[in-house]
Amino acid sequence: MTKKTKKLLILYFFAAILVVSIITVKIYNKPFINIAESKPSLSLASEALLSDFINDESTANTMYLEELIQVNGTITAIEKGKDGNDIITLGNENTIGSIICHLSKNEKNLKTGQEISIKGICTGYLMDVILVKCVIVP
Amino acid sequence: MKTILIIFTFLLSSITVVGQGKFLTKQGYTSFYSSTPIEDIKADNNQVLSIIDTSSGTIAIAILMKSFSFEKALMQEHFNENYVESDRYPKATFKGKILDFETLTNKETKVNIIGDLTIHGVTKKMEIQGNINSTEKDISLKGDFEIEVADFGIKIPSVVANNIAKTIKVTYEFDHKPYQK
Repeated sequence: MTKKTKKLLILYFFAAILVVSIITVKIYNKPFINIAESKPSLSLASEALLSDFINDESTANTMYLEELIQVNGTITAIEKGKDGNDIITLGNENTIGSIICHLSKNEKNLKTGQEISIKGICTGYLMDVILVKCVIVP
Repeated sequence: MKTILIIFTFLLSSITVVGQGKFLTKQGYTSFYSSTPIEDIKADNNQVLSIIDTSSGTIAIAILMKSFSFEKALMQEHFNENYVESDRYPKATFKGKILDFETLTNKETKVNIIGDLTIHGVTKKMEIQGNINSTEKDISLKGDFEIEVADFGIKIPSVVANNIAKTIKVTYEFDHKPYQK
């Protein structure tokens, strides 16, 4: 083995290590999906989403969990969460369940009775369908 | 006169009975914390449902596993897909009883809670300590406890065994309000 090939081999070796570590760090630091700029995988009315969960929760789970979905409905309540961000309830006064949307940043000029569209990640159904990391769709 | 008094006491006592009922929160907070020399991992959940029935002191808690939010997307992905398998087991639940609930007064008191904790489809009897403050308008309950990952049949691959603690600290804070509807 000449001196030159030896040098080249060492160089390749370090280059390979560098590439592998860059990829590892990239994967490790993989960002969360940017909800404001992503297109929802589906869009539906709050009543439709709720009734899907009430009728068959496990099927609804496979359809909606961890999906970015857009829900259109009427605001029935606005509350402040413990982290300071607003929590918006969509639905109507007559049904027991509703859609609870945890916003990731506060939105001004929202009031109860208003029709809005919200997109967020669906995490499941307890007494209500829960959406997290929500943003208002203008 | 005496009968009126009796009727009155009767009415009053029935009012206090009506005053009791269910207290609930849909925005309960639960977090868990895993600490190892290599890395610390913390996840928060602000969507916990907790219901206290004041007539019996029973408590029921439901937690969506996919609601836990991590610092890194990859951690959240591994947690859901590989460890707690949240597609198969989307919820963790706790059903139990707050001991000596009827003796509570309007100030913060230490309580013991005994019940069944179900995570990853595995149920385990737990005795948990907490701090409770119960008034007519609000029941706050908070505390922390530790669980063993292995107790709930959660397998951690050996590659990351040094990154994830065997004992996880769970913190909770629930602010229940009277339930109307």
